[in-house]
Amino acid sequence: MGLREYTIRRVIELIISLFLFSTISFIIFRMMPGDPSSLYLEEGILEPGMREAIRHMLGLDKPLWEQYLIYLKNTFTFTFGVSFLYNKPAIDIILSRKLLNTLALLLSSHGLAIVFGILLGVWSAWRRGKVFDISSMLAAFILYSLPVFWVGIVMLLLFSVKLGLFPLAGTITAGLTHENILQYMADYLHHLILPATAITLIRLGGDYLITRNTMITVIGEDYIKTALAKGVPEKIVVWKHAARNAVLPIVTWVGLEIAVIFSGAVLTESVFSWDGIGKLIYDAALWRDYPILEAAFFIIIFVTLVANFLTDLAYAALDPRVKYD
Amino acid sequence: MNKNNKLLNIEDLRVYYVMSSGSVKAVDRVNLDIGKNEVVALVGESGCGKSTLAYSILRIIPYPGRIIDGKIYFNNIDITALPEEEMRKKIRWRNISMIFQGAMNSLNPVMKIKDQLMEAIIYHEDAIDDVEGAYLRAIDLIKRVGLDPSRVLESYPHELSGGMKQRVVIAMSLLLNPKLVIADEPTTALDVTTQANILELLRDIQKEVGISILLITHDLPVVAEIADRVFVMYAGKIIEHADIYSIFKEPQHPYTDGLISSVPSLVEGKLKKLKIMKGEPPDLINPPSGCRFHPRCPYKMDICEKEEPPPVTIKEGHVVNCWLHVKR
Repeated sequence: MGLREYTIRRVIELIISLFLFSTISFIIFRMMPGDPSSLYLEEGILEPGMREAIRHMLGLDKPLWEQYLIYLKNTFTFTFGVSFLYNKPAIDIILSRKLLNTLALLLSSHGLAIVFGILLGVWSAWRRGKVFDISSMLAAFILYSLPVFWVGIVMLLLFSVKLGLFPLAGTITAGLTHENILQYMADYLHHLILPATAITLIRLGGDYLITRNTMITVIGEDYIKTALAKGVPEKIVVWKHAARNAVLPIVTWVGLEIAVIFSGAVLTESVFSWDGIGKLIYDAALWRDYPILEAAFFIIIFVTLVANFLTDLAYAALDPRVKYD
Repeated sequence: MNKNNKLLNIEDLRVYYVMSSGSVKAVDRVNLDIGKNEVVALVGESGCGKSTLAYSILRIIPYPGRIIDGKIYFNNIDITALPEEEMRKKIRWRNISMIFQGAMNSLNPVMKIKDQLMEAIIYHEDAIDDVEGAYLRAIDLIKRVGLDPSRVLESYPHELSGGMKQRVVIAMSLLLNPKLVIADEPTTALDVTTQANILELLRDIQKEVGISILLITHDLPVVAEIADRVFVMYAGKIIEHADIYSIFKEPQHPYTDGLISSVPSLVEGKLKKLKIMKGEPPDLINPPSGCRFHPRCPYKMDICEKEEPPPVTIKEGHVVNCWLHVKR
């Protein structure tokens, strides 16, 4: 099977998965106790008719199957209905700045964690038993076991509150008008550093440990001894022969972790008040804002599935033994 | 300085795997020599230190192993003292190459055969006069081992059969005209027919180009087929060595005798009753006292537990380390 047929098959799989996951998320959100009206009103204080009026306005008085059909139509036309909380189309709210903010945070932090995790893991395994290896392994175990929100709060306390080096919250300085794009980017980066570092530190431990582990297995293989015996310089043996084989399991792992990565974003964005999808989901869940939740979950599922597909393509490109089938 | 015209001379070599739970004494005061154009076999059970001895000749002992002391002379130069870069450029593959255990795993799965062959040449460029010629030689060698260069060179290892891979590995080992090829169980993972073909190929090439071979194996019929001399290793020590004829006809050490008798043979059309050696290979962290074979030896005497047997020369070139042969 060639790349073309493979892609077509995967796209069909993607559409089926999206349909299934959308249905599941519809059911889950309606299983959450209460509905939006119960949060807007405190019973007994407002007129009895008000609640019904709100339910009618939001379309929550329709039978569940009718709500589901509307939901499906909205989902597959990418409109996702109107947010209960913001009274704007849900898709506009998500696609505005929020998705970009989340992607900027996740891509930068995980990119750094993966790159440094692999570099350190490879070198650590090669220097097995030496001081560098033992100290970095100890550090990795500590980082790996820390919860991200705790690290976030400690970093905020230290670098923002005590030292005043970084802003406490947000993605750009409120009220500041930027003169040019460069100033804007510098301001954005200044806000990005703390949350991105928090995620990088937490993830670095895991990426490092997995790399080190697979690398140690690879080093024991005869083809590594063969390369050394051939008189190939040590650095080339490490990076070209060993690391090239050791990253294969990492690629799979990263692909599987993408969903987990998004869940990490909810916590980090809440701690740092980072205006992204994660914080949006947190707020939407509190307020039972179904359209936002549904739209956000749909986007996350979509990104995850596409990323998994790209992971498989990357794997096939890295390992000649893998065929498209 | 060592004065003889042997190609390789190992003197009192000790290689230990140093761990917190104790050192694995994989090679413990080993002496071994290989002459020019000679095929020497190193025989012993799995885990007796044969492969470690081979790795130490190329100085590629895996973690946490290291040479404790002893000397390895190659052409009368002590290569244990060579700087790493010198070792890499002048000894590895240029003078001593190696065929590793099992064909399946000696080739990098994500690199084309061509690149893996060329690598040996590229990283020795300053040691080779004629790089172009080396490439042509790679093609010739692929043909010499009975493979089609146009098919093999552009392939990845998984696209070849086990026998083909082993042929590639043999061709690769000869690429830089080495003086010594170490072959560590070169036929273990192959089926019997392929084994015979590979051995024949190895022997023919050895005669053709005039190289020395250190053949590491536990497979005695293989030894009988191509070796000139045999060293028998037990629990990190050489316990007997002699020419091939003496080892098979007059084995002196009870262990050598056991090894030979535990191979089925069909001489004179009838199957001899197979002797099975009792006991397990010893733990190399705490090896047995005295003679390391004493817990399994049918002729054990009191002294065997207490003192290590000295080498006894039975006749010219036949030496055994066993108390049975010490005149007291």
